[in-house]
Amino acid sequence: MSVGSGAGRSDEIELRIGAELTNLPIIRSLAASIAMRADYDLDSIADLKLAVDEACSTLITRATVDATLLCGFTVSKDEIRFRVTISSDSDVPPSSDSFGWRVLTTLTDQARSWVERDGQGGERPGNLVHIELAKRRAEGPA
Amino acid sequence: MTGTQSSERGNDTGYEHLTPLFAEMAKLAQDDPRRGQLRNELVTGHLPLAEHIAARFSNRGVPREDLVQVATLGLINAVDRFQPDRGTDFLSFAVPTVMGEVRRHFRDASWSMHVPRRLKELNLAINSASAELSQRLGRAPTPSELAKHLELSPEQVYEGLEAGNAYHSMSLDEALSPNADSDSLGETLGEPDSALAGVEDYESLRPLIERLPERERQILTLRFFRHMTQTQIAERIGISQMHVSRLLARTLENLRQGLLADEAE
Repeated sequence: MSVGSGAGRSDEIELRIGAELTNLPIIRSLAASIAMRADYDLDSIADLKLAVDEACSTLITRATVDATLLCGFTVSKDEIRFRVTISSDSDVPPSSDSFGWRVLTTLTDQARSWVERDGQGGERPGNLVHIELAKRRAEGPA
Repeated sequence: MTGTQSSERGNDTGYEHLTPLFAEMAKLAQDDPRRGQLRNELVTGHLPLAEHIAARFSNRGVPREDLVQVATLGLINAVDRFQPDRGTDFLSFAVPTVMGEVRRHFRDASWSMHVPRRLKELNLAINSASAELSQRLGRAPTPSELAKHLELSPEQVYEGLEAGNAYHSMSLDEALSPNADSDSLGETLGEPDSALAGVEDYESLRPLIERLPERERQILTLRFFRHMTQTQIAERIGISQMHVSRLLARTLENLRQGLLADEAE
């Protein structure tokens, strides 16, 4: 991970974890820890944590049995990008008119979701549902 | 602080009439029945002091009534231990005694997990530094700003912030029952309905939101419909940013669970 001096360099952190709501605290604290060490302000840290929580729980409720949640953080100088993916039977992305989506867009600077066919699905055709969020460093002297 | 009397300012403390009672009590024999009477009078007379101190520590996650009780115990101790012949006045003796009692309670009672005292104190220090810096900067501080302000290393601040996650505010449980916490909050906002009506799960959300305690509903509305930051909300409601953060996380979780339960039906 780059902290402070790694200006402009981007770092990737990945986490594969069972798609269970009980695993949320682990993902949440990883998100908080990343934002904290990137020296985001306390509001942004809390926002990212809530947003990651919301995105992951949205996907967990769509997961196929025994699915794995794939989470990735990309830390660059002024932005933390979070992408989470789940395999799902549904091919409908989370609705952008839902309250959950409003939560995501309020807490982050960018939120999008899309579905793609799972190429390696085997005999059972499946889909991969993605949510991607971006949280930028708050304006002002840091 | 608003809403508290500024009776501690100036010479007029409001407690002068009680001072002679200490001298009177000091002269009495240990078993004199008049002692108990004087002691009662002194404790009752100084109760506003205990309430005042409790108020200073309220909104930090420990129910106010508990704080008043603890402060009152501290006050009783202070009355029992005060020696008027030492030359200090009662208030300058009592205030630190009562505050110490409240602080101790605060530290011991409001952490759900065992967190070393050093970390609890660190977290409290971060909390108050964060309030102070937010005021000064007009936004929430970053960990490095906190570290500089507190003269700590960034690692220590990280540790203290993480310790905050283990902090379990008792008032959260208390606030789960509606109306637990309606004082001073109810008047700020009306129903969030108009703002909410735009979302498609509105019909299933509305009853869930209506069931939320007043404060949780207010925080939810301010964050997601008025777009205030957690720090701004904290200031408006009079609790810490960390507390807002915990309340919001919990509220969202409850709403999600409620929506899921709806779908399952």
